[in-house]
Amino acid sequence: MAANGEGEGPEARPPPPSMPQPTRTGDFLGKHRLSAAIARLNQEIQFLEKELNELETMETSAEACKEVFLSTEGRSDALLPVTPGPENPTWHRWFQRVRSSHSRRWWTSKGSSDIS
Amino acid sequence: MSVAELKERHADATATVNSLRERLKQRRQLLLDTDVAGYAKSQGTSAISFSPTDLVCCRILQGHTGKVYSLDWAPERNWIVSASQDGRLIVWNALTSQKTHAIKLQCPWVMTCAFAPNGQSVACGGLDSACSIFNLNSRVERDNISVSRVLTGHKGYVYSCQYVPDHESRLITSSSDQTCVLWDVTTGQRISVFGGEFPSGHTADVLSVSINSSNSNMFVSGSCDATARLWDTRIASRAVRTYHGHQGDVNTVKFFPDGQRFGTGSDDSTCRLYDMRTGHQLQVYRQQHDGDDNVVPTVTSIAFSLSGRLLFAGYSSGDCYVWDTLVGEAVLNLGTLQNSHESRISCLGLSSDGSALCTGSWDKNLKIWAFGGHRKVI
Repeated sequence: MAANGEGEGPEARPPPPSMPQPTRTGDFLGKHRLSAAIARLNQEIQFLEKELNELETMETSAEACKEVFLSTEGRSDALLPVTPGPENPTWHRWFQRVRSSHSRRWWTSKGSSDIS
Repeated sequence: MSVAELKERHADATATVNSLRERLKQRRQLLLDTDVAGYAKSQGTSAISFSPTDLVCCRILQGHTGKVYSLDWAPERNWIVSASQDGRLIVWNALTSQKTHAIKLQCPWVMTCAFAPNGQSVACGGLDSACSIFNLNSRVERDNISVSRVLTGHKGYVYSCQYVPDHESRLITSSSDQTCVLWDVTTGQRISVFGGEFPSGHTADVLSVSINSSNSNMFVSGSCDATARLWDTRIASRAVRTYHGHQGDVNTVKFFPDGQRFGTGSDDSTCRLYDMRTGHQLQVYRQQHDGDDNVVPTVTSIAFSLSGRLLFAGYSSGDCYVWDTLVGEAVLNLGTLQNSHESRISCLGLSSDGSALCTGSWDKNLKIWAFGGHRKVI
């Protein structure tokens, strides 16, 4: 910014005419929104600090990994080639003959991937 | 206080939040001493081995004239509802491949659909920002079932909806307005809004929800803000926990069968398994994809098999990898099998007895996959 060499101090310099003056309403809304955003951020800070404290005494991932491992054992699963029982007979329904009244298609037997 | 001072405070608070998040990220990393694959390896677990004709496509459901966007099985039945770019919902008997209902929607831009727990109603939502309910037993007028209820209130598109298990009249939706909503379908009223103005809500579109079938007060949501969040329906004011790790939109979330973990799928091409209680990321499922390095396939949809040992993941490339969740390897790709889809897999889901997987695709078809090989029962 070029210095004013004419003698008047900066306090006396009016704002450039092209800069719009903020309205009282606009200023209020700006302050209101900012205050609300700051309040939300402060609340977020509290919760993040709480989570950090929680992590001080939290167990490592090993325990949860073990739980995942154990939870899949012993559960029968129709889509696995090897599964604990009991085997539900209705699992086979997708490969049994089903007559559709709207067509003469018959689904092929188990073991074939052809669809006729 | 002046605006300038408030702005400074805002900047300071933002910097503090960012710093705390970074510290949290680093502290969490220190707690990850193993992943599921590492633990399984220590137990001598080997990967599931499928022979080429074990999982087969046993039905092709043809009838939509546009891309299939969403599907849902009815509980305890062989029925499936699907939603398509053609502006229709179709209800299928998956066993016979017959269409039992075809509903022409007033708003054709549908993104999601769901079956009610009693199998008597279906819900759908999309770019109309509303969720429409149809009673499948209602009178058909002019060849169409009329809508029985419209749930309005979202200020953005409805990307996903799911009925609360065992609650015919409760449904949860997720939206581009960054919120999830729990609805009373009978009255059409919003019971609770999760996120939005409150802290710890999602900060971008919410693409997916999954309700915990072991504890239906808890549900998880996935968002374009690259996080998944856990919610307690009794406490709408704040997410219980936020799960970080993904590097892109979280397109799909699904609870693990034990109700203590959940899986996610993302634009970053990975699926992840998170521990609900601790927040730990337990496993990343990342596949090397063939083809153009500049085009990384996104994960569009996931589902766990009944035991949780298998994770089915549909990709934008048309691949459908079957992950061994314990070993962390893809053991099969349904996209390379006979009768596989010819385009993106947009949705998939398991029947309630776990005997069949249904995949939906932009090729306009739905396909049913089941185990057709020799099964060994131990």
